[in-house]
Amino acid sequence: MKFKHASSLLLVCCATLASGCTSLGVKPWQRDVLAREEMQLDADPLDAAIDDHMYFSKEASSGGRSFAGGGCGCN
Amino acid sequence: MQLKPKALQPNATNARRRLIAASCALLGAAGARSQQANVAPADSGLLEDWSVDSALAYYHEDGRILAIEPVVNLAKVFADGQSLNFNGTFDSLSGSSPNGALTSHTAQTFASPSGKAAHAYTTAPGQLPVDPHYQDTRIAVGANWTVPFTRVDQVSVGAKLSDEHDFLSATVSASIAHDFNEKNTTLSFGIDNEYDSLHPIGGAPVAGSDYALAEKQTGGKTKDGVGVLLGVTQVMTRNWLSEFNVSVDRFKGYLNDPYKITSIIDSAGNTTGYEYESRPDQRTRKSAYWENRVAWNSPLSTALSLRYMSDDWGIRSDTALLHVRWSLSNRDRYIEPTFRWYRQTAASFYTPFIPSTAEPTTGYESSDSRLGAFRALTYGVKYAQKLPGVGGRAESEFSIRAEYYQQTFAERVPVPAGLQGLDLYPGLKAILVQIGWRF
Amino acid sequence: MPDERLIVEARGENLLAVRFTAMASPCEVLLPSMSHHAALAIGTVAAQEAWRVEKKYSRYRDDSVTAWIHENRGTPIEVDEETASLIDFANQCFDLSEGLFDITSGVLRRAWTFDGSDRIPEAAAIERLLPLVGFDKLQWTSPYLLLPAGLELDFGGIGKEYAVDRAYELLAARDWTPFLINFGGDLRANRSPPHGPWQVGIERPDTDREPTMLLDLESGALATSGDSRRYVLKDGIRYGHILHPSTGWPVLGAPRSVTVAASSCTEAGLLATMALLHGDRAQAFLDEQGVRYWLLK
Repeated sequence: MKFKHASSLLLVCCATLASGCTSLGVKPWQRDVLAREEMQLDADPLDAAIDDHMYFSKEASSGGRSFAGGGCGCN
Repeated sequence: MQLKPKALQPNATNARRRLIAASCALLGAAGARSQQANVAPADSGLLEDWSVDSALAYYHEDGRILAIEPVVNLAKVFADGQSLNFNGTFDSLSGSSPNGALTSHTAQTFASPSGKAAHAYTTAPGQLPVDPHYQDTRIAVGANWTVPFTRVDQVSVGAKLSDEHDFLSATVSASIAHDFNEKNTTLSFGIDNEYDSLHPIGGAPVAGSDYALAEKQTGGKTKDGVGVLLGVTQVMTRNWLSEFNVSVDRFKGYLNDPYKITSIIDSAGNTTGYEYESRPDQRTRKSAYWENRVAWNSPLSTALSLRYMSDDWGIRSDTALLHVRWSLSNRDRYIEPTFRWYRQTAASFYTPFIPSTAEPTTGYESSDSRLGAFRALTYGVKYAQKLPGVGGRAESEFSIRAEYYQQTFAERVPVPAGLQGLDLYPGLKAILVQIGWRF
Repeated sequence: MPDERLIVEARGENLLAVRFTAMASPCEVLLPSMSHHAALAIGTVAAQEAWRVEKKYSRYRDDSVTAWIHENRGTPIEVDEETASLIDFANQCFDLSEGLFDITSGVLRRAWTFDGSDRIPEAAAIERLLPLVGFDKLQWTSPYLLLPAGLELDFGGIGKEYAVDRAYELLAARDWTPFLINFGGDLRANRSPPHGPWQVGIERPDTDREPTMLLDLESGALATSGDSRRYVLKDGIRYGHILHPSTGWPVLGAPRSVTVAASSCTEAGLLATMALLHGDRAQAFLDEQGVRYWLLK
């Protein structure tokens, strides 16, 4: 019983999210702020690469934002 | 000459509305492409429209590793939207690296992996055993090529190669991305394959074998990993961009660290011997990643990302990373403090030492602290300043940043009385200082 | 060699101007007082975009996209995304102006020489050129274009205003500073400088009197269309250089110059050009559009 409710609740959430997603967003002429450097998802790629390398060699996790392979022998 | 003006005048208001829509579409499309404004002129010089991003990083762990790492990245966007990217990294490491053995009340002597008598080292009582002759240089190159094949789709392929004294790695990757919903939503899918070949110095030890026996195998070892990533990027509002990725990767092959050993401790706390570590030959990891970038007002913007990872070695981790950027004086420069919080649980076969009373098992064990349970905090700050450009370029950017990274070990396995009063889990403290120049 | 120098100079106490030449016009970027090197960096962004658009679409260069389109008349070609956007825009303007705005009408200039002399072409010369005019005669399905033999595309009618808007986008996205971009009288500003709104003067052609009026501009675009320098004068009648695409003749009775204010320079420029094409109905047309405008008759 619980499971049935949970799955239909999930379905409703997904449907709402999906329909919500189509109304989310901006018009093409409203992209001024999004064009700023700091709003780019790949802003400062070298900083991210150097940090990723440091964390890969000191921790057990890697990736998430991109592929997880370390590509080096430091782990 | 009879001049007739147009007999029917266009419907005025309707025309104006359509004109506004038409010019918005023209300029909106142009605005969205504004980042690609460095279109190559027909007769460009060699380096003129390549953008160059370079950095030099200095990394130093307290009493341990020192690394110097210059990195350079060259990128060019072509008129038809294709882009090419080359990068190169050089790593020079030296210093002391923990060998996995446990601190003891007595001095400990170890042979170096190379087997050379001159490189044998002794650890004083009460000190964490570290190999002080650790040295390596690494060179890595990579390239990436992105091709848009419709107005809303693009495909990207990449490769990288990394070579160091005992380790060679080759990775290839491919991904596709699809924009829809007026480019407010992007769906992407990527796959990569990494092939690594190791030639450990002195040979790869038989996993789990006794250190004193020094049973080494000739020949190299390999491992292979495949990763898959699925992501969605969504423009939420004019000031807020969100990205969500899920990824899975699986590595198979030689996953041990050939230089790490585990101490065998008797009930009185004396070290009676060591064993080479032994890890499974397969590891599958899953992670979920969520990033949000928000521009709060003109000078202030933030980027917050959260990551959850779990694998079949029993390790789970949580990461939270926050960047806060404050732009100053006409966005000429900015200051960006960062904060990172990280926590991981230990691998199921992680053990800081092996009790000598334990039954010899054929199970896996490793005392590599990177598989243990710990928390880590990073505090950082970055300053960047725009400067006049070089060559024909409008501007360049100089930056400097510093980070302080600290690992603290969370769990304590009960230890025999003889080892009380020793700092068995000293953790790690490191600083990173980096200068960068982008033009 | 085109002159690609930038000059930074003070304008009064509060402003700097970064001046350069592009599209055969004097161009400038006005900025509030700041360090000269910062002003130069900002002005360079705008100037390079202006030169890029000019080189890409100039009909006088043989390495421009326009030249390449003309070399490939009669065969289908695939144009790049920016050119496709411009042709889409020209297409929409052709529709909504019911043929008044037509980027294929450039061929008509072969019959006319607008140098202030009194030479009017013969009717036959114009008759021969009229079949080569008509945007509906080319085949366009973005991004594929088929331009029939003899036709020409002329981006000059929107090029300068488009360059203003493109340079504007580049500077506004970085959001460094208030600025006003002025390419030969087509201008756009993002916001007022600290000391007060931008002061724009509208020139009165061929008189020595001072500008007719000073406007206070906070943000937005102004574009001017007019015949102040290019015209034919015969029997006391001025024939301006904006030619009606269906007749090949200038529209008589049009104001000498029209300045329109709108949110983008491209929109303002289109409205100003279309106003002139309405001849003596220019003012009525502009009233119907509900935009701010200034006419000089």
